[in-house]
Amino acid sequence: MSRAVRAIIVAALAVLWIACAVALWRSSTVPGNLHLPSVHVRSLFTPAELARTARFEGFLRIEFVLSQLALISALVFWAWRGPGYIRESAAGRIGTGMLLGMLGLAVAWISQLPFTVAEVWWERRYGLLRTDYFDAIFGDWWGLGGEFLAISLTLLIVMGLAGWFPRYWWIPAAPVFVAIAALFVFVFPYGSDTHKLRDPQIAADARRLARAEGLGKVPVEVEDVSSETSAPNAEAVGLGPSRRVILWDTLLDFPRDEIRVVLAHEFGHLKRNHLLKALAWYTLFAFPGAYLIAVLTRRRGGMRAPEAVPLSLLVVTVLGLIALPAQSAISRHTEAEADWVALNTTKDPAAAERLFRRFTRVALEQPDPPGWWAFLTASHPTIEDRIRMARAWQQLHQR
Amino acid sequence: MHPVRLTVSDDRRRSRLTVFFRLLLVLPHLVWLAGWTLVAEVVAIANWIAVVINAESPPVLHEFLARYVRYATHVFAFLFMAANPFPGFVGRPGYPVDLEFAPRERQSRLSAAFRLLLAIPAAILASLVGVFFLRFGLILLTAAGIWLAALILGRAPRGLRDLAAWALGYSAQASAYVLLVTGRYPDSHPDRLLGEQTLPYHPVRMRVEDDLRRSRLTTFFRLLLAFPHLFWLIIWGVVAAVAAIVNWFAALIVGRSPRVLHRFLAAYIRYTSQVYAFLFLVAGPFPGFVGHEAGSPVTAVVDGPTGQRRLVTLFRPFLVVPALLLWTALGLLLVPVAVGGWFVGLGRGRMPSGLRALGASLIRYGAQVQAYSLVVTDRYPSSSPTLRSELQP
Repeated sequence: MSRAVRAIIVAALAVLWIACAVALWRSSTVPGNLHLPSVHVRSLFTPAELARTARFEGFLRIEFVLSQLALISALVFWAWRGPGYIRESAAGRIGTGMLLGMLGLAVAWISQLPFTVAEVWWERRYGLLRTDYFDAIFGDWWGLGGEFLAISLTLLIVMGLAGWFPRYWWIPAAPVFVAIAALFVFVFPYGSDTHKLRDPQIAADARRLARAEGLGKVPVEVEDVSSETSAPNAEAVGLGPSRRVILWDTLLDFPRDEIRVVLAHEFGHLKRNHLLKALAWYTLFAFPGAYLIAVLTRRRGGMRAPEAVPLSLLVVTVLGLIALPAQSAISRHTEAEADWVALNTTKDPAAAERLFRRFTRVALEQPDPPGWWAFLTASHPTIEDRIRMARAWQQLHQR
Repeated sequence: MHPVRLTVSDDRRRSRLTVFFRLLLVLPHLVWLAGWTLVAEVVAIANWIAVVINAESPPVLHEFLARYVRYATHVFAFLFMAANPFPGFVGRPGYPVDLEFAPRERQSRLSAAFRLLLAIPAAILASLVGVFFLRFGLILLTAAGIWLAALILGRAPRGLRDLAAWALGYSAQASAYVLLVTGRYPDSHPDRLLGEQTLPYHPVRMRVEDDLRRSRLTTFFRLLLAFPHLFWLIIWGVVAAVAAIVNWFAALIVGRSPRVLHRFLAAYIRYTSQVYAFLFLVAGPFPGFVGHEAGSPVTAVVDGPTGQRRLVTLFRPFLVVPALLLWTALGLLLVPVAVGGWFVGLGRGRMPSGLRALGASLIRYGAQVQAYSLVVTDRYPSSSPTLRSELQP
């Protein structure tokens, strides 16, 4: 294939990719003509509250940056020294790759230990975390085992395909990973440690809101986390018959009108098919991501060779960091849409505003974090922006 | 060679009468042993002070304590049916399960000063397998097996007798270490403890070519690294169970295991042994996933199919029960092997050869039980911890 033909194919694929991304982005919307009024956070929170959240999140920001540097350093080290561990394997090509992949995760876990301890110390100091150090560090030991299994399965697929198609394994691998991700999203709710919502009033509200959003019957379940944390949270999970909304029990102490906003927000995710769209975004990123891994590991023999596995972990992590702003922007975009759906459903911007303000007080979310931080990592609009949206909705419907 | 050496000259013949009343017959010895123990405890303190000061045990104290350890071994060998004759009361040499003590030697003062702390791992293993300061372990189970077999056959099965003798030998070495009769740490290596002996041929054997070196990183994360293998082992196990049922019918009809099924089940047995060896630190390298012999330096070796007696095959589901029960107990011993190996592996980057050999021996028994229950062979598993065995029938 000549260079020109290849360039044309690459350009066509790039255009197709961009067109898909734009279509996907546009499929989640809040009114384009919405005027967001300015809000002064100093008028919403006391100086002590603002200082407290700034202190709290400031530490976590430094910790995040340092932990990412440590992670990259650890993986650079592993990319350099990891192939030496091939002698620790009597397994074949793929089994040895699995061992190097798992050990890479182990090295990454070790590199994150000091930061985990620091984070636990900090969150305990602010009363957000209730678990002890041992539980916080080793409580999820089996979770790490699950990650070991997951990376083994991933490497089984990648190295198996790379054995057959050394240069083009990434083409069949990407859809396989999308299928696995879809399966995981579908199955995840069935494995969650949750129970039914026991409060009849909130359950009735949930049914009403789900109906109002045209969703039919969607189970609402509660996850008991109050022994571990005081932070509130909720999530919409599952696909098709497995979809449901999970509320943390820490949220159930909130006033009923605020819980209604949370429920409407999560139903908004389901109504606007955000999980399916997340899978679509994953598909879009999976192809170029897998391609880049294939290209960047070629110097080590490509993903067919176990020697390339440590380097591939570094590549995946760096690509993940590079994609982080885009990932955050997509997440903020869909969260904003869910907020908008919630406002339209509850028609209660005052409750929404009280809820967002409570997040700052209870979960210590800084209402106006530095722009670079929000740009890089924020999965939700800032509290300030969410309050502005609530007020914009109010203004829109007062006219 | 360890300064406390076990010698076994037992001919395995058992008197049914003394076996039946063994628990009552031993009572005078237990009373005498209790009195001797009280004195030995006082003597041991004097011996400890002497060794810490002089780096050597005084001859009288050494002789007394060695005799005490030997007498206790005789009594427990009689009680737990590792030997047949009623023992003497003064611990004289010559009993069928006996101890030989090397002459006194100098000991490290530092090691003597902290002997009780240093002895903790050995004491734990001794109390799990044999007798240690009136804590009884696995030897109770072997005694029950020998008791039953001896009543029926008038003989002690070799495997169980060897296992009991090994447990007593290790316990004796641990006691001698605690009492400062010797400064040498107890050695759990079955071949070194039981001396030069070779087991009769069995189609399932163990090949151990591991170099004892352990990577600290893979040692620390060993349990988690074994996850994919355990996951795969479960899936393979389900298929193997179905294959074993088919194999059972086939062996019943044609009198041997069909080659295809034999090959499949042999690979499963090898794979299981390799996963266990990796998980319990008996082997260093990460094993392969297909059960090839080359998949690990510590692996079961399974010979090809041979004829199987139909009657044994027919009653196999019942015949396997005692072996399964014993394997349940022996399999648990892999946990202290792994825990000990984990700490030493992290500290020194090596697996102690005694623990490695013990682990390999336990895994070998597991593989033989598996082969017997999956109708791969009709040869009964040998519970003897000895690793050496004849290679031809």
